[in-house]
Amino acid sequence: MRMRRASWLAAIPLLALAAGMPLKAAELAVPPVQYHQRTLPNGLEVLSIEDHASPTVTVQVWYHVGSKDDPQGRSGFAHLFEHLMFKSTAHMHAEQMDRLTEDVGGANNASTGDDITNYYEVIPSNYLQTLLWAEAERLSNLNVDEKNFRSERAVVEEEYRQSVLANPYGKLFNSIDPHSFTVHPYKRPTIGSIENLEAASLQNVIDFHRTFYRPDNATLIVAGDFDPRQLDAWVDRYFGWIPKPAAPVPQVTVQEPVRTQDKRYTETSASAPLPALAISWLIPPARDADTVPLQVASALLSQGESSRLYQALVYRAQVAQQAGAQVDARVGPGLFVAYAILASGHKPAEAEKLLLAEIARLASQPIPAAELDKVKTQLLTSEIKGRQTAQGKAFGLGQAALIEGDPARINGDLVALQRVSAADVQRVLRRYVTGAHSVTIDYLPQAKAAGELQGVAR
Amino acid sequence: MNRLTRTRLAVFTAALFCAGTAAAVDFPTAPPPPGPAPTLSLPTPSSQLLPNGLEVISIQRDGLPLVTAELLLRQGSAMDPQGKAGLAQLTATLLTRGAAGRSAPQIAAAAEALGGSLDAEAGWDHSNVGITVTTPRLPAALALLAQVTRQPDFAAPELERARAQALDDLHLVLSRPTRLAALAASRAVFGEGAYGHASAGTPASLKAIGRVDVQRMHAAIYRPDDAVLILTGDIAPAQARELARQSFGNWARPPAPLAPLPPGKGKGVLPPVLLVDQPGAGQAGVVAAHAAPPRKDAEFYVGTVANAVLGGSYSSRLNEEIRIKRGLSYGAGSDLDGRRGTGLWLASAQTKNPSAAQVVDLMLGEFARLGQVPVPPDELAARKATLIGGYGRSLETTAGLAGQLEELATYGVDLAEIGRYIDRVQAVTPAQVQTYARAHLDPDSSHVVVVGDAAQFDAALRRAHPQAVRLEAASLNLDSPTLGTGRKPD
Repeated sequence: MRMRRASWLAAIPLLALAAGMPLKAAELAVPPVQYHQRTLPNGLEVLSIEDHASPTVTVQVWYHVGSKDDPQGRSGFAHLFEHLMFKSTAHMHAEQMDRLTEDVGGANNASTGDDITNYYEVIPSNYLQTLLWAEAERLSNLNVDEKNFRSERAVVEEEYRQSVLANPYGKLFNSIDPHSFTVHPYKRPTIGSIENLEAASLQNVIDFHRTFYRPDNATLIVAGDFDPRQLDAWVDRYFGWIPKPAAPVPQVTVQEPVRTQDKRYTETSASAPLPALAISWLIPPARDADTVPLQVASALLSQGESSRLYQALVYRAQVAQQAGAQVDARVGPGLFVAYAILASGHKPAEAEKLLLAEIARLASQPIPAAELDKVKTQLLTSEIKGRQTAQGKAFGLGQAALIEGDPARINGDLVALQRVSAADVQRVLRRYVTGAHSVTIDYLPQAKAAGELQGVAR
Repeated sequence: MNRLTRTRLAVFTAALFCAGTAAAVDFPTAPPPPGPAPTLSLPTPSSQLLPNGLEVISIQRDGLPLVTAELLLRQGSAMDPQGKAGLAQLTATLLTRGAAGRSAPQIAAAAEALGGSLDAEAGWDHSNVGITVTTPRLPAALALLAQVTRQPDFAAPELERARAQALDDLHLVLSRPTRLAALAASRAVFGEGAYGHASAGTPASLKAIGRVDVQRMHAAIYRPDDAVLILTGDIAPAQARELARQSFGNWARPPAPLAPLPPGKGKGVLPPVLLVDQPGAGQAGVVAAHAAPPRKDAEFYVGTVANAVLGGSYSSRLNEEIRIKRGLSYGAGSDLDGRRGTGLWLASAQTKNPSAAQVVDLMLGEFARLGQVPVPPDELAARKATLIGGYGRSLETTAGLAGQLEELATYGVDLAEIGRYIDRVQAVTPAQVQTYARAHLDPDSSHVVVVGDAAQFDAALRRAHPQAVRLEAASLNLDSPTLGTGRKPD
């Protein structure tokens, strides 16, 4: 699986001679993540990875609820709710999670996406029992008051201002979902809007917790320095009693229709110094076998300075200061997004022409074997880097379990990656990108002079 | 409150009804106490010297077949000549844009075929080029690292390309209120000293840089007797030395002595409160800065603990007062940046424009409190634990280990400090923090800068700080110690 140290030392002169000939990605073995899986009678899924490399442990609770589940007229609510999970419960005061983590040498955070909300801590391993209790407590006994609700809502509104209003390209990236989906609730941005956040009430909080925060809608992931028997006993004790409600968890069943025409939108920005452009295409859910070849396609286009988009747009034509492509795969339909932030003196149309030409070339012209091998090596190496910490492995497992629908994908995807062929890359690009309809967003700085004149001359 | 209690009861009833196992009586009403504390084992670095003066520092760790390699040079942006702000960063950027007969695209392709990317940058006091690869690819990665640092082309077309990119990046930086405020605050603290200029350059300085400037900077900074090769991860000291010898052993030490260090701090001429108007800004960026003792100073750990209390983490005082209690920002914090000669304390927060004046006063109030009242023992213990925990986690990755070594090696701090960090932090007392704050963080000597849509906070800010001076973002001259205010020393 990995090089033995002694033989490696002996091999140095040989390897140095071979420096000009990189090893093949196929020779790069990533040790599989060994995890344990079980489900409690109340429906809670429990995943664990034992790893004693560091005397710490990560506790994560992933809920199958995200901004796609925001209540009607409450865009941004799932994310606001995530913030409120750090406020009081029946047996914890506001911010006590910080006392139990930061104050003892740990750290915590949480994030909300379209499909999931995850809460995670990393703590010295002697605090595992404490944090299992605390996560069970906020799953079962949340108790937020009006004062904390209002002050935390103000924080989220500042988060909106910081990420959307004060970030020069925030408004562009925030507009991709609203323009890319026509009926699916993915069309609502996760951060929401000030107006919808202001409309939220404490009653919404209570209803949301009761509807979605339940053991049969959650996955507990524990990774790091623990004793598996002890872990099982604590999990049974703290989570086992929490009831599974009789009512089913509401599911989003809306189907996003296939696009029948290309569409184009324009957004403007008061703070962006230079124009930008984003193009999206619909792709299948993350669990689909085509996700991995799409990721390889996006890496060929945009991973690193040797990638095709960087070379064509940033290096050769110098029309863009940044160009990229990414696979935004979700539980439901996802997006393949290509974008460029323009260089001074260039227009979005120039970048658009080159972006589309590079994608078309990748879809239709032969892909050199060495280039395909390069991106596999890049993707495998970054996977190994992510697996250096228990937290990194736990995130990978959560992503596989909740977004792709099967924890085994954490290992299976790497096997699939090794097998991706040039023909696979071209097939998925033709099917979902070059042979499908796009949504294009032109992002234009508001003319500064005109903006300033508005207050004076007009 | 009532409604919530009812909800909880309703859920509990459902438990009795549906699951039939009402084991909730077993559920404790207080957090279970921790078990005995585990001990963190800290790594021991190994240091070796090649005949040409190159220091080789490595840390071996078992686990994944991964190594981070970094060539560190002990000089950076502080060496930018007058009027050539941004030169050290541009020089670092250009290393990978053509070297030893390979073009920029060929170098990128070679590095990325190894699974990593060559990242070159310049900080105030160091420059570095690094890459993380799997163990079997390390010799090839080091060969590449040696080519780009020792034999860069600095071809004219690449300089033009990098200059255009740096200018566009600069537009982005200057459009962000807190970034611009931090640049102005650095000028206020360091005045005409080397740390006062903009290390990413200015539109005027970037245009003034020529190929000869880049070559001179390269000759001054990139030399074996001021360089350190850092290797962390799946590598033993003997391997580290052998690989260093292969790639850097014949790198000749130049006859010229090391360039003298310019003073970081010079005479400052800016008023204590600056207000920079950026019409239409979505938020205001608020910063408060102080000069700090240098990294090698004996008080470094006292400063580190003081920063942990003030603004180093989520639960620190600035975030507690500005975000948690009042909802005025998504995040407020502070940073202590050691450096040579003189360092920098910088507190910052972004807030909606109308709250800017309130955030300034909260920030100054917290600087003052640190000097007025000893930190309560519980609070001090909690913030020390946060520091130590974060330190332990930073050592879990090969890149994190390299980062710790980089800081120690840049400032010539004894490498054994890596194992003493926890004891040093634990030894800091409340009295030491208070004395430190009085000496270095007096709010009367703070340099405050607010950048934002000034129409929304000008009046409130001037009420509290009548001496505040207002500037326009569009006409700010970061190359000038006066920022273009035309202000002369009093």
